[in-house]
Amino acid sequence: MSQMNTLLEVSGVSVSFDGFKAINNLSFQIGPAELRAVIGPNGAGKTTFMDIVTGKTRPDAGRVLFGEKSISLLTLSEAQIAQAGVGRKFQKPTVFEDQTIRENLMMALKAPRRWWSVLTFRAADTHLARVSELAEEVGLSDQLDRIAGELSHGQKQWLEIGMLLAQEPRLLLVDEPAAGMTPEERAHTTDLLVEAARTRAVVVVEHDMEFVRRLNCKVTVLHEGAVLAEGGLDHVTADPHVIDVYLGR
Amino acid sequence: MTCKFRADLLLFFCGVLALALASFARPGHAQEAGTLQQLLQQDAALISKASRRTIGPVIDRIVASDLPAVPMFLSAWQDKTIWQRRADGLFFVGADMGDRTYRLTDIDSGAVIATVPKDDLKQLKPNSGVRGLIATALVRFQLSDPDPSLREEALTAIERRPEAGLLAPLRASIDTEPDAELKARKMRIERLLTIGHGRDPAERVAAIKDMSGDLGVDLRAALNPLVATRLQISTDLPEGVNLARVLSPGGPDLGRLEAYDMLAEAELAPARQTPDQIKTVLSNHVEGGTVGGVALVRLSTPDARAIAYDTLAQEGKVAPLVRDEEIDAALAAHVFFETYAEPNPEVTAAALAALQGIATRVGLNQTLDLGLDAISLASIYFLAAIGLAITFGLMGVINMAHGEFIMMGAYTGYLVQQVIPNHTVSILLAIPLAFAVTFAAGVAMERLVIRHLYNRPLETLLATFGISIALQQLAKNIFGTQARPLTAPGWLDGALVLNDVVAISYIRIAIFVLALIFLGFFLFLMKRTRLGLETRTVTQNPRMAAAMGINPGRVNMLTFGLGSGIAGIAGVAIGLYAKVTSELGADYIVQSFMTVVVGGVGNIWGALLGATMIGTLQKGIEWLNPSNTLAAQTYMIIFIIIFIQFRPRGIIALKGRAAGD
Amino acid sequence: MRRSFVAQNPSVLVFLLGLAAFTLGVSLLAEGFGIGLISTSFIKTLGKTLCLCLVAIAMDLIWGYCGILSLGHFAFFGLGGYMIGMWLMYARTEIIVEASLAQGVIPPTPQEVIDGIGSQIFGVVGASDFPVIWMFADSLTLQLALVPLVPAILALVFGWLAFRSRVTGVYLSILTQAMTLALALYLFQNDSGLRGNNGLSGLQNLPGVTAPQSAISLWFFWASALALGLGYLLSAWVVSGKFGSVIRGIRDNEARVRFLGYPVESFKLMLFTLTAMIAAIAGALYYPQAGIINPAEIAPIASIYLAVWVAIGGRGRLYGAVLGAGFVSLVSTWFTGGQAPDINLGFYTLQWVDWWQVILGLSFVLVTLFAPKGIGGLFDLLNRGDKA
Repeated sequence: MSQMNTLLEVSGVSVSFDGFKAINNLSFQIGPAELRAVIGPNGAGKTTFMDIVTGKTRPDAGRVLFGEKSISLLTLSEAQIAQAGVGRKFQKPTVFEDQTIRENLMMALKAPRRWWSVLTFRAADTHLARVSELAEEVGLSDQLDRIAGELSHGQKQWLEIGMLLAQEPRLLLVDEPAAGMTPEERAHTTDLLVEAARTRAVVVVEHDMEFVRRLNCKVTVLHEGAVLAEGGLDHVTADPHVIDVYLGR
Repeated sequence: MTCKFRADLLLFFCGVLALALASFARPGHAQEAGTLQQLLQQDAALISKASRRTIGPVIDRIVASDLPAVPMFLSAWQDKTIWQRRADGLFFVGADMGDRTYRLTDIDSGAVIATVPKDDLKQLKPNSGVRGLIATALVRFQLSDPDPSLREEALTAIERRPEAGLLAPLRASIDTEPDAELKARKMRIERLLTIGHGRDPAERVAAIKDMSGDLGVDLRAALNPLVATRLQISTDLPEGVNLARVLSPGGPDLGRLEAYDMLAEAELAPARQTPDQIKTVLSNHVEGGTVGGVALVRLSTPDARAIAYDTLAQEGKVAPLVRDEEIDAALAAHVFFETYAEPNPEVTAAALAALQGIATRVGLNQTLDLGLDAISLASIYFLAAIGLAITFGLMGVINMAHGEFIMMGAYTGYLVQQVIPNHTVSILLAIPLAFAVTFAAGVAMERLVIRHLYNRPLETLLATFGISIALQQLAKNIFGTQARPLTAPGWLDGALVLNDVVAISYIRIAIFVLALIFLGFFLFLMKRTRLGLETRTVTQNPRMAAAMGINPGRVNMLTFGLGSGIAGIAGVAIGLYAKVTSELGADYIVQSFMTVVVGGVGNIWGALLGATMIGTLQKGIEWLNPSNTLAAQTYMIIFIIIFIQFRPRGIIALKGRAAGD
Repeated sequence: MRRSFVAQNPSVLVFLLGLAAFTLGVSLLAEGFGIGLISTSFIKTLGKTLCLCLVAIAMDLIWGYCGILSLGHFAFFGLGGYMIGMWLMYARTEIIVEASLAQGVIPPTPQEVIDGIGSQIFGVVGASDFPVIWMFADSLTLQLALVPLVPAILALVFGWLAFRSRVTGVYLSILTQAMTLALALYLFQNDSGLRGNNGLSGLQNLPGVTAPQSAISLWFFWASALALGLGYLLSAWVVSGKFGSVIRGIRDNEARVRFLGYPVESFKLMLFTLTAMIAAIAGALYYPQAGIINPAEIAPIASIYLAVWVAIGGRGRLYGAVLGAGFVSLVSTWFTGGQAPDINLGFYTLQWVDWWQVILGLSFVLVTLFAPKGIGGLFDLLNRGDKA
């Protein structure tokens, strides 16, 4: 495993809540342009894993290194981690419902984040063009001035993905993007994720095996806070441990 | 035992000897007088026009005569029933027979002499000062009076007016005292009197040492005059005085100018001119727009004024300015020292040592007292906060009207007392009634307002605040602005007195017990009852609870009502202790929220710890700065703000995903 | 830039024009200037109301836009008043003391003047020496600088502590209330250096100005209107662009904004401090018109009323805050001032002085329940009506 091919390296991470070990000596790597699906039953630690990478939860042990310079994410705040290039999409679509799609995208657009820069920010043509481009990408270009709260569930998911892309992250963490979507919407979402993974690392947490199959990528199976199996979907679904866990024998 | 008895006996004989000597010292009076009447006649003029300044020796002589009629005479004199017959100047006990006539009784024999019209008599009316002296003289006789209440009165009189002359009769009366309690008191007073008025230093030092383990205020009152000091000035340190210390002017205890002013006051040095005096002098010597050759307009600096003044002094118009060098010289020429009022150094040393020991023990006891105070304050905060621990802590509903529920409980107690005068019954009735009233108010509020605002905490805060404003003003409109009494039953009056330093009022103990009962009740309710189980279920996961057939609306309503009802009971308890006004609740609301927040939301032990911490802290800061409860509260709040930095979720924090965001 | 800003926010222009018209109209009708239809005391009431509108804007910024229900902004308002009050009281007492000392034959020394001022000001609390905090009281410039500075420092320190430990929601509200209470209790002490519960008084007199109150009241009215206009403009600018997006985002979903890479704490801190400064300026203009400031003004209840005004006016929109503060405070003044006629119900005479608070409290509950957008919500209905 060479440093060059690893964007994120999580090693030996453990965290417990009131005695319950949510993550137990977890290790995980992903390359700079890779699509990865993370699956596992409820309580396997998928969301906690994301919380740790994005700085929401501090682990009791282990390390999380990011980028070529291998900076430790454990000493950074959520905002600093996001600025370093980690984007996160929550399970429930979380867009700013009171604001227009343009405002949502503009807020996410990569630009200096300090309050002074934000206060004096004036949208240049390049910014406006990028917003239109992103809107087009997620299929919302004719709705830029609509209030985000009026969008359908699927449209909100796409807007959120659009916002993530606007951030230009190097690592995208996506939590159950296909939940509650129609088959057509799922197809569109799959395309978006596959497209995004050409230039960056994308980690998709998903329950839906069909969706995972469509992503057509390496799969990591989590169980009880640790990696149970890793490899192609067919490979892991053949793994007897995985079958045990999923079928609950 | 024998030894001590013998010592007492010895003292007794000494006392008798002293008395005998005292009477021997004034021959020609008492010894010649066979009867009290004769004795009185020798000082008839002084007695009939008694004044506090001159009557002392006369009373002494009467007492020294040791005649059997003396106690009767003194008490009659004190009661203004002694009459002097104008014809011969003899004194009699007079009894009003009506019709402006008086029956006279002989002082010595008690035989009835005659009944005479009032015009022939003159009543002795000793003024209060004289009566005080008579009372003191009477004390020695009352000390052995068969009536215990009179003996007790006599002891009280000695305590109020400890005099050297009473020591001997007091000692004499101890052995024959039948009442154990009075005897102990007599012995204690004997020791205290010995400290101040004992025969020789050794005896007094012994008495001080005997008593030094005591914490009584009376002991400190007996010791303090011994170590009182007086500041004196002299050119040389005198020999043979009981010196407390020598002060150096300009040091921390005696300012330089202050010292000089004392010299000036004692006429040991010329008086210093203050800037004000200089200014007055200058304005008295204005001549044609100048003073001492300096133009008036230039006199706005101290230097210019000094120049003008010097000129005036050189012209001999004013006393010369006292200069710094002169002040220093005068101070150097004198010694400033403090002497003890008590001349004997051994006694003062023993008294100081005893006082120091007492101070240490008083300090320890004060710490204990402070701790008890803190516990009782914590109980009050806990009571005020426990309802909140349910509504805010468990349900997450922020109820700014919680304080007004406390107020409603207190007013309910007041109203019940208006109907039922018996305080015990009324309080016992007020507690469930207050619960019922505030429970109903809480349920109504939950149904009408809060139900619509779940998950909008800030808006709940505002809406309940609106209710709080309305309720407060409503109470003002109904009950007025003045405080209403909520009186505790008689058996809660008074305090549990451990010693002269530590005392806890029974009300505080009752509040503490009530807080404990509430804690137990809460724990029972949450852990052992169906409602508690349902409440915990609903607060943890309302949807799941609903799926399991629990009606979250009903549970929320009941839980909120319960929290409000407890606030009502707390109101009765707090009302006993604080004034019942429309602002009663508002006074506690911030502290209550602090208690819950500091302790940790959603946990009753947290509220308990929070209340303990806030109570202790407030008392502790008050102790550091006793004059200022406002400052104590300020610093406490600042401390809490800083505390929350380090434990944002309180002392007992829920961790992990359950804590939510 | 400015043109596009106003074009984006037409309500700003409407508001400023309305405010200008109002100011002009009131001035023309005022006793001190125009035909005297409006008494000097009512000019003061209007001037004070404008200041309250300004502090309501600050409250709206921090609460309506950023979601921080601060129950401490009236403390900043009061602090601003104290800062200017110190100079007003010092300078005025200095003139009085100098005049009385000039009566004497001998001219006073500077120390005598200072001692005289000290005993005049602090006599009521049994002191005569100047506390350290009065160090700059003789300089109008410095004291004016302290008006926004002192509250800003307090807001910065408090905000840093509170936001850093991620205290949010009602906890933060309670904490700000505690801060207010602590400050009020501190000021209530006699040895706080600000005359305890006596507060600072005689502030309506401008030292060295001989103009009548009717004129001074107008000057302050104009200054208040100007401050309100500028404050509105500044606030509208702050909330209009991306900054506005971010703080509204913080209000709606703080964690999401954080995951977008914005340092949420510094945004909150900046806004908290900015609004504290606006509140302080409003207070510095308010108290010279009120004439007196004392610690009771800072009591937690005042800050809650501020929240009430903004809620009734409609939070999340600047004109809502202005409308709410103006409307509720004027109506309150009318009812509690004893001007409203009592209502005789036959069995009971309803006195507004007694019942206004009850009605205010309950109507506040109703607004929270049924009209969370407040009066401002009415404008939405009108707009929708236009479109339909």
